[in-house]
Amino acid sequence: MLKLFANRALPARSRDLKKMALFADLSGREIRVVDGFMHERRYLADEVVFDEGEQGEAFYIVLEGEVLILRQGQLDQPLAKLGSGSFFGELALLDDAPRSAQARAGSQCTLLVLFRGDFLGLMQSHGLIASKIAMQLARHLASRVRSMARGDSGPL
Amino acid sequence: MKQSDYRSGPLAWCAILGGTCVLLFLFQKILWLVVPFVFGLLIYYPLFPLQQRLVLGGMTRDASAALVSSAAFLLAVLVALLTFPWIGSHLSSWQDSGTRYIEGGLRLVVETLVWLERNFALAAKARLSSQLTEQISTLGDTLASKYLADVAFAAATWLPSLLLAPFLAFFFLRDGWRFKKFLGRAVPNAFFERTLFLLDQLDHTARLYFQGLIKLTLLDTVCLAIGLWVIGVSAPLLLGLVTAVLAWVPYVGSILGCLLVVLVVATDYPGDASVAYSAIGLFLFVRLLDDFVFMPMTIGRSLRLHPLLTVLMIFVGGAVAGVAGLMLVLPLLGVVMVLGETVGEVVTDPRLRARHVYAKRLRRRLVTSDLRL
Repeated sequence: MLKLFANRALPARSRDLKKMALFADLSGREIRVVDGFMHERRYLADEVVFDEGEQGEAFYIVLEGEVLILRQGQLDQPLAKLGSGSFFGELALLDDAPRSAQARAGSQCTLLVLFRGDFLGLMQSHGLIASKIAMQLARHLASRVRSMARGDSGPL
Repeated sequence: MKQSDYRSGPLAWCAILGGTCVLLFLFQKILWLVVPFVFGLLIYYPLFPLQQRLVLGGMTRDASAALVSSAAFLLAVLVALLTFPWIGSHLSSWQDSGTRYIEGGLRLVVETLVWLERNFALAAKARLSSQLTEQISTLGDTLASKYLADVAFAAATWLPSLLLAPFLAFFFLRDGWRFKKFLGRAVPNAFFERTLFLLDQLDHTARLYFQGLIKLTLLDTVCLAIGLWVIGVSAPLLLGLVTAVLAWVPYVGSILGCLLVVLVVATDYPGDASVAYSAIGLFLFVRLLDDFVFMPMTIGRSLRLHPLLTVLMIFVGGAVAGVAGLMLVLPLLGVVMVLGETVGEVVTDPRLRARHVYAKRLRRRLVTSDLRL
């Protein structure tokens, strides 16, 4: 019955989120719930998103533009370049460990930020959504571990 | 959730305590708005999980806020419709009971003084019982005319202001998340993550405090009601609820609650002081249970304050803003403490400041790239 009151058309940003692998398993209304927790931030080219060693409290999704993942101070040798639809800082959702690399805007970019406290809240209030995201995160991390085992480099 | 390594220094703590006192002083001036705001939060936090469930069920936030608020409002109206006729029919008897209970309580005090004077020479010399009896007879004639009108007038003045509380709760439910995002947008990128963490802590603290307060009130009500029912006091549930709500005001509220219970017991069982003493014993037992078991389980988890600071601030709150200060000082201190720590943490981190300055220079360079002097 609740669905009678639901607004079925997804906003543009929610549609962008739905296309991402991380949220592929979520239904339209679940995407809308997650979108409600997202903060949109704009960064200028070369602006620092977070530093290596900093306490991680949020997870980032690149909506537009490019983000570089670097070792602190090694601006010429980025570990990875992330474009639209990529995400980074995901370990912050899982543990309290410090950031393992620096993230810097490679160009003017728009990022979506999911705060860890909101993700934990999501786990309590919307366990199904959080478990779907956590499963996709686990798959993503597993593929990263396999890549590292093969000796490929990639974002941390 | 892991706490940050930052610890406020003496200067930051002075600012936090000073800020709390200034806010208390200001709040005392706009109490008509602060009290409904606090009641609004008390309504908002229990309703918030229900709204979240509806959002998960596919409703928009606005529709779910409207539905939850309407349901709560209808429930309140239903309760009022059911209880008002009953209250109306019992009003006159309650008026008589009020006078009877005050007389019963005073009689108990006089009897206790008489007993003390019989057994202790020092008390006999003081002749307190005869003085008190004289004052009671004078007071009894003027009590109703002197204070009842004032109390009725004060209640009538507060009623419209208290009606604001449900409206505020509705807007907290509907627009709370927008406000959080609005606040977040005002924070520069360099400080964003850290500020978000501390704002979350603030929300977490407030939620635990208000949800804890409601749980504590329910636990107190149940314990007192069971105890009073066992003793054989009339209307144990109502008396337990009123006493538990009075306990929201630290110390003063508890004393008033105890007095209320003793008044009722002394009137219900005139001449049997042992029942009154059992009620006092029950009250003390519940207070101990409250302080050592219920409080740490509910509110104590939300405000991580040193007990000495808690007691001192309660006195300061009372001195600055009276009874309202006693009630508001702890939640307010909790909020100011988190805000103070947020500002302290951000301001004292040189790397975050440097990143902010760098971002400002980047922005300046971007907007002036085509401007040549």
